Amino acid sequence: MIKALRQPLISIQIDRGQQVFGSGEVLAGAFQIDAVDHADVRVVETSVLWFTEGTGDEDMGVHYFERLSVDDVPELNLQERRRFQTVLPNSPLSYEGVSVKICWCVRVRVFLRQGRDFVAERAFQLGNIPLVQAEGMATI
Amino acid sequence: MNAITSETPNRRLTNPFATRWVRPGAMAYLFPQGRTAAEIVRQFQANDWRSAIVGPHGSGKSTLVATIIPLIEQMGIAVRRISLHDGQRRFPADLLQQCLPISRREVPSDEISNSTPRALLVIDGYEQLTWWSRHRLSACCRRNEWALLVTAHADSGLGKIPVLFRTAASLPTVQHLVDDMLPSHYGLIHADEVAAAFNDHGGNVRETLFALYHLFEQRRNTYGKQRAGESVRL
Repeated sequence: MIKALRQPLISIQIDRGQQVFGSGEVLAGAFQIDAVDHADVRVVETSVLWFTEGTGDEDMGVHYFERLSVDDVPELNLQERRRFQTVLPNSPLSYEGVSVKICWCVRVRVFLRQGRDFVAERAFQLGNIPLVQAEGMATI
Repeated sequence: MNAITSETPNRRLTNPFATRWVRPGAMAYLFPQGRTAAEIVRQFQANDWRSAIVGPHGSGKSTLVATIIPLIEQMGIAVRRISLHDGQRRFPADLLQQCLPISRREVPSDEISNSTPRALLVIDGYEQLTWWSRHRLSACCRRNEWALLVTAHADSGLGKIPVLFRTAASLPTVQHLVDDMLPSHYGLIHADEVAAAFNDHGGNVRETLFALYHLFEQRRNTYGKQRAGESVRL
């Protein structure tokens, strides 16, 4: 019998709903995973990372990483809120250029036993570099 | 990665035409009616694991390769992918040395047939190699029981390597990508602009999507103001 695969619900919260952080500030929050059988989950990875976004090759850096293997922690309750916390670095600061952007986020990735994985992200901003605006906007 | 949800601060909208979303692997190849990735892999096997994917710049060769690689890996075949840059006429000796450690991925032995290769070497931009380099590469693959999948812009220089698939971009395909496959373009890009970008870039899908990236950048701030309830004249 083919079992329909549902997409796990991954919820990420940053404490106090904070969206903008300064260098050296503490980023803390929690995540929760629902709508998936505990037995179907192999690993849950939590990371705080930056990546570039644009038309060129992507670059990325992982600042914080935690891997939870369900085999190592059989009593793991995925529906419980699991906390994460890290002190943010001095750089790279979030940047909203036209050709390239630097984006920070908290990412939770759930690896299932069938080999599939699901990802959720909660973006935040590090630093406060002013927005860059493209020329020729609103020329429709 | 199978699915991604992104919750971003109000300040920014993800540009759906960024490399992150449109690179091979992030976006699946759109097969013509009646063709599937599984069928392409079966044909590759029938070709004795030596084949070429041929098509012009930006027609989806790399995207097709990225789409079929997971199926090949599921057969227990380790995959090593090498992209040759413009003007790279020789296959560097150290690159072949780097390839040597590749071996079959761990799968139950009863799932592996005798004809399954130990590994697959994927060469992007094969036509750039000299005749001698191509000859060395073929010999190396035979000696090590590696499958060989190459991409090229034309048939010339492929020698005895059979063509597995010819990629060709069409405007309906690009429209479909923009409308249905990308996460959201917020209604900021119109069908006639997709057509114009496609024509301007001579049918190169990659360049078309990057042109749309820049168009999206021009309009994203306007969209942000609209969402915030400000009066913006488009």
